[in-house]
Amino acid sequence: MITLRPHEKLLYRATPRRAAAGRRTRRPAGQALRHAGRVFAAEALKQHRRSFGSKLVVFSMLIWPVMQLAATYYTVRPLAATPGIAERWPLAADPGLLLAFLATGTLGFTFFFSLVQSAWHFSFERVTGTLELLFLSPADRLVIVVANGFGALVQNAWLFTCFMIAAFTVLDVVHVAHPAMYAVVFLALLVPAIAWGAFLNSVLIFSRDSAFLYTLLDDPMWFAAGVRLPLFALPGWIRAAGSVLPLTGSLVVVRGALLSGQTAGELAPELAALAGLSALLFAAAVLALRLGEANAQRTGRLRLF
Amino acid sequence: MIRTVGLRKEFRTRRATTTAVAGLTLEIPRGRVTGLLGLNGAGKTTTIKILATLLRPTAGTVLVDDLDPLRDAGAVRRRINLIAGGERMVYARMTGRENLWYFGRLYDVPGAVLRPRVAELLELVGLSAAADTRVERYSRGMTQRLSIARGLINDPAYLLLDEPTLGLDAPIARDLRRVVARLAAEGTGVLLTSHYLAEVEELCQHVYVIAGGHHLTAGSPAELTARAGCHRSVRVTVTGAGPEVAAAVESLAADLGAAAVLDRAADGSLVASLSHPGEIAGPLAMAVVGAGGTLAGLEVAEPTLEDAILALNDRAGMVSA
Repeated sequence: MITLRPHEKLLYRATPRRAAAGRRTRRPAGQALRHAGRVFAAEALKQHRRSFGSKLVVFSMLIWPVMQLAATYYTVRPLAATPGIAERWPLAADPGLLLAFLATGTLGFTFFFSLVQSAWHFSFERVTGTLELLFLSPADRLVIVVANGFGALVQNAWLFTCFMIAAFTVLDVVHVAHPAMYAVVFLALLVPAIAWGAFLNSVLIFSRDSAFLYTLLDDPMWFAAGVRLPLFALPGWIRAAGSVLPLTGSLVVVRGALLSGQTAGELAPELAALAGLSALLFAAAVLALRLGEANAQRTGRLRLF
Repeated sequence: MIRTVGLRKEFRTRRATTTAVAGLTLEIPRGRVTGLLGLNGAGKTTTIKILATLLRPTAGTVLVDDLDPLRDAGAVRRRINLIAGGERMVYARMTGRENLWYFGRLYDVPGAVLRPRVAELLELVGLSAAADTRVERYSRGMTQRLSIARGLINDPAYLLLDEPTLGLDAPIARDLRRVVARLAAEGTGVLLTSHYLAEVEELCQHVYVIAGGHHLTAGSPAELTARAGCHRSVRVTVTGAGPEVAAAVESLAADLGAAAVLDRAADGSLVASLSHPGEIAGPLAMAVVGAGGTLAGLEVAEPTLEDAILALNDRAGMVSA
């Protein structure tokens, strides 16, 4: 029951009101940054509650990707017996390196596919009515979708990432040119993944029938991005299709740095392309949010599902 | 103050254009509960969503404390909040406390303010004991109360209430009305739409009546009732009444142009009912007594806001299903 305490000032009346302003208001950058931080914290909690409904979540976080990796490894492993494979794909001739190649692919796929899943879940907010509340709030829309993706990524990928780090250490297959390359690898996975998540979230929250994207970005992404086979082994049209996926560029950088010992200078063209693609995805996310919200305000479709 | 001038909203599809709001001019000042009434499809929810920045008007102007919701959307959103009845609009896997914390973060409420405010709001809506229970375990009423608390999380200067008591138990609805009255008394501007007209009559100092997106009339509930020309009903029970009393009542009704219904109760008493916009209880009582009757009872039923709204809609010829 709602209880009232007569003659007592409510705490939620305690904030001083700002005087009415007749001009456009713009908040200082510091305030905007603080607000962004709060939205990140809020979305992290929301993702945590969504993902960790039960302990069985460990299956999707660790067991499932490990099984995927094992299945892929034992599917590709017979290639080592192919005559001349060492010349065409030297990694395949060494079981340890082949496993490392596939493990980096699975790790990258876990990063990017967790964001596909998160965007798919985000689209359900239209059904529950909470999507309209997000747009009712003053929170920056881009910050919301980025924070939502970031929260999902951290929640879903941390366990498998830790497992992979431990596995690489045990297998001793990683040899970087400089310790700083670990940071390059981390950023080459993180930044494009966040951009990818922001883009997907921006598109899916305004799209009512987008379940097909979930299927489209599952197995096809696994294949076209070079998760289990090197890009040179794929037909030209698949390579072209895969080149628009940020996962493709991320894997080139990750494998180049961890498995081939390439330096940042040697990977500069790939890093630049990855940065460009990430910027493009962020820009597309901003555009999708602006157009989507303007369209929703015109048509009132934010509540339709 | 929220002001709208000539507010218009059309929804266009390939096949047709539907006008939901057609030229509404409203004023919603601070410290007052303003009602927005109309039958289904009148344009109430569309109007509220425009004020909440969720919809963009096709024409007309909206100003919230002189801020334009299109140009200054962020500043406007910080000043307002919306509570819609009968909807979940909270996250089922989070607890009540976490939901309020989450929305407080979206509204950029500082942590030092947010923590006590969340506790205060949970207490306000009677959910302190269930604060750390997941919402998926709440009853519908509890979820609705949490939605009410969510609508207050940013301490809004203007609160938009769209059927807020829909689906609530009577005691909770009553307590919510008290909270709304209290918020208005403390300076919050409230816009209320409700199908429970007694609720509007109790809370609103000023009411706009709309139909088919058009403005019909505005005023206090009492003014609207008077303006609608709704009839008071006066019912007298007369003992020992001969034919003279019935004749006197019929004569009075004919003089006033009022409708009269005469009947006999089980104990033989005469029961006479007259319906008229004016004050007729006195003349009726005098006519009965003057004709030799003895008044055993007199009841006056004042017209309600519901009568007024129905009369106004009928008059406008815009009654919808």
